[in-house]
Amino acid sequence: MDPTNEELYRLAITDAPYVLAAYGILWVALMAYVGMVFRRLMRLEREVQVLEESMERRAGE
Amino acid sequence: MKQLRVALVMLVIGGLLTTVAFVMAFTTAEVQRFGTVTLSERIDTAFPLQEVTADGYRYERPWFSQKIFYFHVPVAEASFLVFGVAAFFAIRFLMTKRKEYDTKSRIAMETAIVFVTLTMITGILWTRAAWGVWWEWEPRLTTYFIMTLMMIGYFVLRNSIEDEERRAVYASVFGIIAFINAPISFFITRLIPSNHPVVFQSGFATSNLVPFILGQIGMLLVGYAIYSIRMNEERLEERVEIMKEALEG
Repeated sequence: MDPTNEELYRLAITDAPYVLAAYGILWVALMAYVGMVFRRLMRLEREVQVLEESMERRAGE
Repeated sequence: MKQLRVALVMLVIGGLLTTVAFVMAFTTAEVQRFGTVTLSERIDTAFPLQEVTADGYRYERPWFSQKIFYFHVPVAEASFLVFGVAAFFAIRFLMTKRKEYDTKSRIAMETAIVFVTLTMITGILWTRAAWGVWWEWEPRLTTYFIMTLMMIGYFVLRNSIEDEERRAVYASVFGIIAFINAPISFFITRLIPSNHPVVFQSGFATSNLVPFILGQIGMLLVGYAIYSIRMNEERLEERVEIMKEALEG
C-alpha cells in the first residue's frame, strides 16, 4: 500500500461518509435501474411466449 | 438474445473494472493533498509539517474527497459520450427519417439521463465534502445543470406531442441543440475561472491514472450494456405489439 494512503487512514477525515455515500448511491442506483429493466424484459419475454402459443393454436385451428 | 448476452457480459466486466478501480483508488493510488489539518500532537507522517502554531501542528491535509474522482469523472464522461450518441442518432434520423434512429436516440438519451443524474448526485456529495456547501453556482456546475434541465425538457417535449412523426422530428432537433451544452460544460473550466478541478491540467501520476482508466472503461461498458439491454426491451415491446395486432386482425 502507498505510504500516503496509510497516513490518510490514520488521520481523522470528515469527508469519508460523503465519498462512500457517493459510491454506494452510484451502484445501488445503477443496479436498481438495471434490475427494473430486467424485470420488464422478463415480463415481455413471457408475454411473447404466450402470444406465440396463441398464434400457433390459431394456425392449427 | 445474443445481443442481450453480450450486454450482460459487458455489464459484468464493467462492474468488475469499476470495482477494481475503486479498490485501487483507496490502496495503490497516491493521495492528493488539499489545505491543512491541525493536530494536537506531532506525528510521524508522510505529509509535510507546514508550521507549529499555538493550536498545534499544522500538516498538509490528505484530500480524501478527491477519491470520488475515480468514479465521479468516469460517470460524467460516460454521460457526455452517451449524450453524444443520442445526438448522433438524432442527426441520422433527420437525414433518413427512419424510425429506428429515433428509437436509438431516445434510448441513448434515457441512458444518458441515468448517468447525468448519478454525476449530479456524486458531484453534489463531493461539493459538500470539498467546499463545505451542497451547491455553488460556478461555471461547471451551472452549465451541467442547464444541460440536465434540457435533457429533462427532451422527454417533456416527447410526451407533449401526439403525432409520432412530428414528435420524432421535434425531439431530434431539440436533442441536437441540447447537446451543444455538452462541449460547453466540458471545456468551460478550461476557458473561464472556475472552482471546479480541471482534470489532467497539471499531469497525473501513473498510480492515479491506472484506476482512473479502468474506471472509465468500466463505466463506458456499463453504459453500453444499459443502452443495449434497453434496446432489447424496446424491440421486444415492438414485437409484442405486432403479434397483438396480428391476433386481433
